[in-house]
Amino acid sequence: MDKTRPNLELLFNPRQVALIGASATPGKWGFFLFLNILKGNYQGAIYPVNARAKEVLGVPCFAKIEDIPGSVDLAIIATPAETVAGLIEACGAKGIPNLIVITSDFSETGPEGATLERRVVDQARRLGIRLVGPNTMGLFSAQTNLHALMPPIVPLKGPVSMFSQSGNIGTQILAWGVEAGLGFEKFVSSGNEGDLTCADYLNYFAEDEATRIIIAYLEGVDPDSDFLPVAREASRKKPVVVFKGGRTRAGTRAAASHSGALAGSYRIYQGVFRQAGLIEASTTQEIMDCTKALTVYPIPRGNRVAILTRGGGWGVITTDACEEAGLIVPPLPAEIIHKLDKILPRYWSRNNPVDMAAVITAEPFMECLENLAQWEGIDAVIALGGRASIPGRVSDQPGVHGQLKAQEGLLKQIGAYYQGSHEKVMHYTGALIRETGKPIISVTMGSQDFHKESMEVYGLASYPTPERAVRVLRMMVDYGKFLASPE
Amino acid sequence: MDYLKDALEQGLTSLSEFDSKRFLAQYGIPVTLEKIAGTLKAAREAAKEIGFPVALKGSGPGLLHKTELDLIRLNLKNETELVEAFGQLTAGPSEPAHEVLVQQMIAGERELVAGLVRDPQFGPCVLLGLGGVLTEVLEDVVFRVAPLTRWDAFQMMEELRGRKILEAFRGRPPVDREALADLIITLGRIGLENPAIREIDLNPLKIQAGKPVAVDALIILHP
Repeated sequence: MDKTRPNLELLFNPRQVALIGASATPGKWGFFLFLNILKGNYQGAIYPVNARAKEVLGVPCFAKIEDIPGSVDLAIIATPAETVAGLIEACGAKGIPNLIVITSDFSETGPEGATLERRVVDQARRLGIRLVGPNTMGLFSAQTNLHALMPPIVPLKGPVSMFSQSGNIGTQILAWGVEAGLGFEKFVSSGNEGDLTCADYLNYFAEDEATRIIIAYLEGVDPDSDFLPVAREASRKKPVVVFKGGRTRAGTRAAASHSGALAGSYRIYQGVFRQAGLIEASTTQEIMDCTKALTVYPIPRGNRVAILTRGGGWGVITTDACEEAGLIVPPLPAEIIHKLDKILPRYWSRNNPVDMAAVITAEPFMECLENLAQWEGIDAVIALGGRASIPGRVSDQPGVHGQLKAQEGLLKQIGAYYQGSHEKVMHYTGALIRETGKPIISVTMGSQDFHKESMEVYGLASYPTPERAVRVLRMMVDYGKFLASPE
Repeated sequence: MDYLKDALEQGLTSLSEFDSKRFLAQYGIPVTLEKIAGTLKAAREAAKEIGFPVALKGSGPGLLHKTELDLIRLNLKNETELVEAFGQLTAGPSEPAHEVLVQQMIAGERELVAGLVRDPQFGPCVLLGLGGVLTEVLEDVVFRVAPLTRWDAFQMMEELRGRKILEAFRGRPPVDREALADLIITLGRIGLENPAIREIDLNPLKIQAGKPVAVDALIILHP
């Protein structure tokens, strides 16, 4: 790709980090940043810089940046805005190539701040320094265990990289990732994008081999940046899930005063996203739902869906949701009906959705799943109720009949049976996905823990409602269409 | 003839409907047959040449909102109706028109809108949507940044909520999507090649025998 683009490798994976404004005073940003870097077990050398401290959290402190022995790949500045210019000069003299300016009170506050920001950025560029921010919450990198973040978040590690024009939203998504079993490779809160812009991060993540999926939280794009061509090229390489903040007029006002970004008309952004093959999430929940799916499922080759359900009502709802989303639920061909006749009781639905009619054991479910996944006429399967309830847990509940309570051993046996069935179904589902190259999306009305377990133990994304599964599928189908379009 | 340069030299901020269409026609955008007439005699001859029914519109670079000024008479079926309409427009319900546009009536019921806007972040952007008088009510429009690929143009048609309007409709054939794609792509090219143009409006863009035709057109220039 473009050789003139900055190489951000040492920014994300620095060998040494200096934190200017590191502080031992709880409540200060310089305290949390330093604490989080230490707690995160950063693999390189970390140098606190603070003229008024001998040590910070037990680490010997340097009075000035130039006192640090040897080279420094990244300096992080967490001191007031008026000190930043002088510090950049010192970083330049020290030969530091990358800078994160955490400090706020720049372009996001008005014309005065904008003037200061321009001055600081020009100065950094003159010294050959690339700059993140200002007004950023920092960055995270899994490879070097660098948790240069203000909030105390330890993200799960995984294949997703993200840039966010809002530090709050970005770090919240990292935190949700822990709950959802969604792991991250790199994250940067891009702040005001005085120097490095979202197009630079997008380009870098697209090239980065450790990144398989990209999340972008956008409020506005710099008029001088080549966001659209960069995004289009990135989408050809890996899926990019985008969420646009500032979609309404009032939201745009909030965005303009928030990160100093120019937020244009949302309809034009929607066009840009479609043109570039970006996958637009319309809610923050969809960011998580869709990204989860992209980490584990192949991209469907078309929009035809088979639905397998243990209960009729949910099958109806799922079918409606598919049709409303522009997905097709084709009728079952005779040969599949014939095959399923051998598995299911004679009163089964004999159509798509396949209603198993109260058959609750694992084996028929797996056999149906296999027949549907192998069917040439569909591109994806939505499987509802693959996990049976686990009655073993009944014994924990208050008010359980005394006699039943006495049967604890039996209940445990039943619980183990269902757990075993569940494991079998999940493993089998994974194997079918690999064999057929089609996504098989599970819908189960289980707890959040269950969905986390699906991701972490079985490598499957599951959802608590069919509507959410359908929406994710539609997003993947659109991306598949983009990939199939002429370049 | 360099319509844009001439208009800018005259200090105009927009082209008249007539000039807008001549300009667009140079790029192959299909527009209605029409003639400018300063006299009743010329209007009669123009109508005869174009063929009844015709539409009559007040013409001039300052007349941006002809509907609001009551300067449009549609579906004039014969010379009597033409004479009456000519009298009304030149007498001026509010503002007299010095010239009139005698224009071919396009029979299609389907009205789309297409156009060009300049976005501060992405530059020239093409729009396509459901048009006519309900454009603002339906708000069914989609955008793409120029230059557009053919795939982009076809995707735009797919993304309209009211995309069914492009299918066979009340006994009329489906819209020729290739022709519509040509038109959309060309609008983007015009935007890229002519920085002096700020906006283009083709509204309505009617469908006649499956082909799109710009019935009204307006080009706004950078002041």
